[in-house]
Formats: sequence, C-alpha cells, structure tokens
Amino acid sequence: MPIRYFIAILAFCSLSSAAIAQTSLKLPETVKVSPEALNTEPVCDPKIAASWREEQVIDGVKIQASNRCSPDNPYLIAAAVKGTNNISMGTLMETHLSADTIIKTDDIDGDGDPDRIIIKLEVMELNGPSPDFEGLIPTFDIAPGIQPGAWVFAPKTRGMSTENFESVRANALLRLPSPVIRVEQGDIVQLVLENTHYLPHTIHLHGVDHPYAHADGHVAGGDGVPQTSEMFLMPGEKRIYEFQARQTGTMLYHCHVQTHTHLAMGLVGMIIVEENRPNNWVQTLNVGAGQVRHPSVAIQEEFDQEYDLHYHAMDKEMTEIIQKYNDPRLIARDMNRLYDITDATEDYYMLNGLSFPFTLRESIVTVEPDQKIKLRVANTASETLAMHTHGHKATITHYDGIEQNPIAQIQRDVYALAAAQRLDLTLDTTNDGLNSYGEGLWLFHDHREKGITNNGMNPGGNVSVIAYKNYLNELGLPIGQGADISKYFSEEFHARTLPIWQDLDEVGTLGAAAGQSGLDPAASTDLYNLLAGLLLGIFIYLAIVKRQMITQVASQATSKLKGSKGSTNNE
Amino acid sequence: MNKTIGIILFVSIFAFSGQAYTEETAETIDHSGHNMDHDDHSGHNMDHDDHSGHNMDHSDHSGHDHSDHDDDHKLDEPMDHSMHHSEDDHSMHHHGDHHHHDDSHIMDHEGGMIMGQNFDELPSSCDSISEEIEITVHAGREYANKFPGTVFAFDQQEWRVKPCSKITWHFVNDDEVRHQFMMHGLPRYLYGNGMFHLESTGPRTISGTMIVPASDETYLVHCDIAQHMEKGMKGQLVVGDGGEDLTSIPGLTPYAFPDTYVAEDLPQVSVNDDEDTISEQVTEFLNDNSPITLLMFIGIILGLIIMPVISRITLLRKKEPEEST
Repeated sequence: MPIRYFIAILAFCSLSSAAIAQTSLKLPETVKVSPEALNTEPVCDPKIAASWREEQVIDGVKIQASNRCSPDNPYLIAAAVKGTNNISMGTLMETHLSADTIIKTDDIDGDGDPDRIIIKLEVMELNGPSPDFEGLIPTFDIAPGIQPGAWVFAPKTRGMSTENFESVRANALLRLPSPVIRVEQGDIVQLVLENTHYLPHTIHLHGVDHPYAHADGHVAGGDGVPQTSEMFLMPGEKRIYEFQARQTGTMLYHCHVQTHTHLAMGLVGMIIVEENRPNNWVQTLNVGAGQVRHPSVAIQEEFDQEYDLHYHAMDKEMTEIIQKYNDPRLIARDMNRLYDITDATEDYYMLNGLSFPFTLRESIVTVEPDQKIKLRVANTASETLAMHTHGHKATITHYDGIEQNPIAQIQRDVYALAAAQRLDLTLDTTNDGLNSYGEGLWLFHDHREKGITNNGMNPGGNVSVIAYKNYLNELGLPIGQGADISKYFSEEFHARTLPIWQDLDEVGTLGAAAGQSGLDPAASTDLYNLLAGLLLGIFIYLAIVKRQMITQVASQATSKLKGSKGSTNNE
Repeated sequence: MNKTIGIILFVSIFAFSGQAYTEETAETIDHSGHNMDHDDHSGHNMDHDDHSGHNMDHSDHSGHDHSDHDDDHKLDEPMDHSMHHSEDDHSMHHHGDHHHHDDSHIMDHEGGMIMGQNFDELPSSCDSISEEIEITVHAGREYANKFPGTVFAFDQQEWRVKPCSKITWHFVNDDEVRHQFMMHGLPRYLYGNGMFHLESTGPRTISGTMIVPASDETYLVHCDIAQHMEKGMKGQLVVGDGGEDLTSIPGLTPYAFPDTYVAEDLPQVSVNDDEDTISEQVTEFLNDNSPITLLMFIGIILGLIIMPVISRITLLRKKEPEEST
C-alpha cells in the first residue's frame, strides 16, 4: 500500500518538473492593440467649414486662401483688419470677439487707413482646475489628450469661455499662443490689458518702440516692470499701454510679473510693426499665429505669402502647479517660492501653441514652386532653438526686427534663435538645389532632438511641414508616402500605451510582448525546490512512521549478514 | 478652595488671550461689513435707472403693457448715456453703434449683453406672476475679500424668490474687466439653452428681466469667464423652498474637491511691548516663563477633576463597609 502511494508521488513530481521545463522554454506572444480600442480623433477637425479655406472677401476685406485642415476663421480676420467697430453685426457674430475688442478710428496722416488703434486683451487660464469636478476647464489640447495648465493673453471675448454650455473645450479665441498683434508704423496704439485672471500681470513691449512713461501719466508706457515702471495690475483692474512705434520689425510682448514663470506659462506673443503705407489696413490680430491671410501692403509687394511662426516650450511640472490647487494663495506659493526653474526641464515643445500631430492641422507652410515666402520666427522657450528646414535653405533677412545688411545676409538650413530672439526668413521655393530641392513634403523642426518629442516621446514637439500644393489633399492634409499618421491622433499614443511599431509588418515583429504565460526561471527553480522538499519530507515522514519496519529490515539485514558471516565462520 | 480659584484664574487668562487673538483677525476680515454697505446703496443704484430711460432699464416700464417691448428695449444709439463709466476711461474714442437683437439676445458696442430676457411669457407651471421684484447684484474683486482663498465674488451668494416671480436683475460690475451673471437650468422652451445671461465690462450696470417657474428649484448663477466661478464668483437662486444646494459657493456650501492646507513656518513679528494689554503681558509672561504647555495644562485640569472623584469613590468604599458594620 504505502509503496503504491510513494510511486504515485514520484511520478507526479517527475511529470510536473517536465511541465515546468517545457513552459519556461517558450517566450510570450505578441499582443496587438486593436484600433477600435483607441480614442482617436479625426486627423482633420470636422467642425470647420470647408468654405473657410477659400479665398474670399468679407466686409470688403480680401482674405487669402488657406489650404490647410484648420484655416483661420475668415470672419475673425475681417474683424481684425477693419476693427470690431467697422464690421457688420453678422460678421461679429461669427466670432467670439467682444464688440469693443479692436477699435480703429482717425486717419490722422490722411493716407486712407486708421491710425488710432485700440486693442483689448484679457488674461485667460487654459486647462485650469475646478473645485466642483475632477476634470479641467476650459480645456485646450496641445496634442491629443495633452492638457498643460497655461495662461494666455486673449482677445477680449464675449459670452462663455467654452465652445458652448455643454462643452468643457475652450472657445476658439482662448488658445495658445497669445495672439500675434500687427500695427502700422506711426499708429497711436492703445493696448488695453483687462486683467480677468486671479493673479497680477502686466505687459512689457519687448523690442517695440515705446516710451518708459507718458508725461501726464494718464496711461502706461509699456515697460511693464513692477519693480521699476509701474505697479502690479491686480485682478479686476485695467491698464492702457500707449505707444507710437517709429521703427518696424518683428517684436514680442509679454507679462513682466514673475517673468520666469509667467512668460513660460504662455503670457508671451509676437507683435509686428509694419511699414507705413497708404491704404494699409493691417490684420491687427493673428489668432493662433501661422499664415497671415491679409498681409500688409509692404509684404504683398515683395512676397507671395507671410507666416508667423511662434516657438515655445513648457515645463510639465510648472504647468501642473495651477492644476494641483484651486486656492490662488497655494498657487502663488508654489509658483513663486517652491518652483525652482534652475532645476526644471522643458517637456512640451510647441509651434504656434500646438505640438505634433496637431501642428499638421494648422501650422503647415503650404507653398508652390517659385514663390517667395516671408517667415517671421520667434523663440520664446528658455533655451536656444535650432530650427531646421528640410529641402530648403532660407535667407536670414532680419535679426530682432532689424534688417541685416543685404550683402551680409546669409543662407542656412539651421537657424539658431536665442531665447526671445526673432528672425525674419525669406523662403524661396525656386528649385535650384540651393533654395529648394524641388517639390515634396519637407519637414521643418527644432534640431535639438528633445524638441521633436512630447514629454520625451517621439514623434511630437514642434515638427511641421513645408508642403507643396501637389502633396496636399482637398482637406489640406499632407498626402504622405510614409506611415499612417492617424494613430498619432489617439490619446493612447500620447499616454504611451500604444506600441506604434506593431504595424510595421504583418506578424508584428516589433509589437508589444504579452506577459509571462508560464513560469519565469526564478519561479521554476522555486518550484523544483518545493518538489524536492516535498519528496524529502515524505521520505522523512515515512522513515519516522515506518521506523519499526526499517529497524526490523535493518536488523534482519544485519543479522543475515552476521548470520552468513557467522555461518561461514561456523562452517 | 485656593486651588479652584487658581484654576479659574488660569482658564480666564487663556480665554482672554484667545479673545484678543480673534479680535485681531476679525479686523482683517471686517471688510464684510463694508461690503454690506453696498446693499444699502442699492437704492442709489436704482437711481441710475431713472435717468437711463431708454435702454436696459425695464423697471420704469413695469407697469406698462409689455407686448411692445421689442421696440423699446434695444440697446440702441443713445447707449452712452446709460453706461456708468469711470472718468479715466481714455480708450473710448470710437462712436460705433452696434446693436444686435433677436428678441432675447441684445448686445451693445461696448460688449454689454443681455440674453434670455423674458418680460411676459409665463412658464407653463405658472398661472400668473406671483410678484414683481428687482434685485441688485454687485460683482467684483472687493466682494471676495471676506472669503479667503477667493479672488472674485458677487456681493451675495444666495437670492431667494417666490415661485413664478418676475425678477428684474440689476447687475452692477464694479471691476474694470468683464463679469457675467449667468443662470443655468431654466426651462428651455422659454430660455435658449436654459440660460439667462447678463454681461458687461465695468464699472457699469446692466439690467435684464426674467420669470422663474413654479417648482421649488435651486439655480446656478455664475461668471463663466475662465476661473471666475472657480475662484469665487458663484451663487444660487433659490425659488420657493429650493432644490439641492450647489457645491463650492463661498461661505455657503462646502467645496466638492477642497485643497489640502499645511501651515507654513513663516517668520513672525515679535509682539510690540508698548501696546501690550495686561492679559497679553500675562499670557506672554506665562508663555515665556512658565514651563506649562497647553497639554500639560489640560493634564493638570484632568488630574484635578479625576483626583477628587477617585478620592470620593475611595471614601464611599470606606464608608460602605463602615455602614454595613
């Protein structure tokens, strides 16, 4: 009886040890993520009317075609060119602008355009917290599912901050970057800052000709520094910054309160002073930067198109401070006293407020052969930008708004922009092997490799494309010959849960591995040890229980031995 | 006996010093009283309506037949007389005359808006208007002073009205930026998206009229400018007995997701000797010289209470056997 059991146990042990050995031989399967499991948005936002892309005239304002997925709202451009005081109510209603956002009056020099310009800006928080629910409001995605807390100067808006009362998404005027402001040389400009935010802010006119202070002190000069030129502009207060720029050029405006965080949070935009020309109605605001669909007279004389390219970067930890607390005192504590910018690294790299793949929707430079295109580039990140154009060598014509001596102008394919620096580039699409290598979809991006990531994951960052018209479909999307870009429009890709190389081939050679199905080596060793221990234990048990039998057997054996010995001896 | 007198003295000193402390803090919070003054001025605010005559002021017309309101109540050209600008508004060089209307949606050239206005259409639940009232609401940063941790607020956080009231709201924006008086959850067949909305850039008053339904309900009132509601500009309109309270209304209802606070070790000013009250001097003396901490003090009191009880019990026990024998 016991021997039968004993054999059964032995057999079990040998079988299971064989099974253990078998499973540890095989590596896990490849797991494929189904497209149905992804939260993917359409590559092109379907809410935008196709008619917005066309060349058109609204309220007498000529608006260039914009062959891209998300063109600027043409009604907004009409309002920006004529002023909200000179457009029809129908046009105004197509925008979120307040009726008093841009006021243009008084042709002082009699050259056919208004010279007294009032521009009203508010300070808005994007992706802020709520004490009532766990999400953020109003939301602005720089890439699918990426919602850094941000502050922007926004054109004075009317109505809700969100798209509508059921949505948490910010309305079209509330976005990164702060809008590009365009004025004419000699205009008497009043930049009215209405501080709708819960922290103090100011405006510093960086590089724009402005007085330090006005003699009668009735308005501010525009230096914006709370330690020297003026007081903090507190929540609920308004300040008028008045200037009359004598020099032209691509400049900046930014908040000068706690600049190390307030600028990085997004309170920085481009401001451009255009040459004074007759009948020169400039596009006062270019919301979201990018293509200027109503370029100034001087630009139209020399160029086919004009683009504003605003590069910015943000530190993830900094943007999360305003999402961690609702109490402004705690936000001020962390922003002013606990946050250490010298220990910080930038994580989000943006072109015109968006990161790849959203840059493809609106920051594409669409070109045709033999064109001259004006690119106004600003870098408001804290590090030097190494902007690189594939397939083209553009000419640097202006540094910080000042024209470089024409005979000393240089052509490059990497353009270095120090922090807060601006370059004016002339992109020439003549196919001569120097200016352009011919038609195609040519990337342009930061060549510091972290600049082409979203929080360290590629592809992302400030990547965009110089796209020749023949390579764009009717939606203004690049017709690529490379990989399918739709998966980059899923939240999962940016949440790092989509193994994008799973589709490189049929079998998914570089897809994701499943977890260990059998036992890992350490566990199988443990199991061996357990089995061995079990056997030993049984032996010992049996040895104790059957000790009489064992001693009997043993004594019999010894006696036998002795007996045989004795018998031999005896015999 | 001496002991108990000593304790009473001790306790009273603590109480005194505590009172002194609360008085000090009360001084900084005392703006609330000042804010309340604005309510007193509400009559004064109504005055504006008298000289405006032509625009958002419907109070004058309350006795009229409202069927011809559509023509009377547009924010038309003479707008400027109705606005209450601050004198230092140098940015207004323009003479635009925007106005837009589709009955309930009115907008002027300075960004003032009235939406969801309703003078005479009764909610289906009402047979008649129960009462006609006017309520003045102030909005601005100063009203947040009494609520630490907020930046913007209305002067009141709750308004109570009878079911089927016809309310004319006078929305006074005391700041130099935009604010909104936006109400949600109204019947959609009367109010677009269920909303009644007043908006203006201050300092300025804008007025609008609406009629509430018969049911007991609590309606959200807030400013929808990014972070204004979150940072305090939130209130509720309670009709009749009201419905469920909303969350995160300053001073009224708790925050649904409150922040966590940890006191910081901040530098403090040492107490000024000249203006010390006697109680402060005593407490300071005790704080500085007495080795007695608060916990030790509590311990002493506990001991003093417990000891007699114990001795009493032991006495009783001793007595009991005596009695029994």
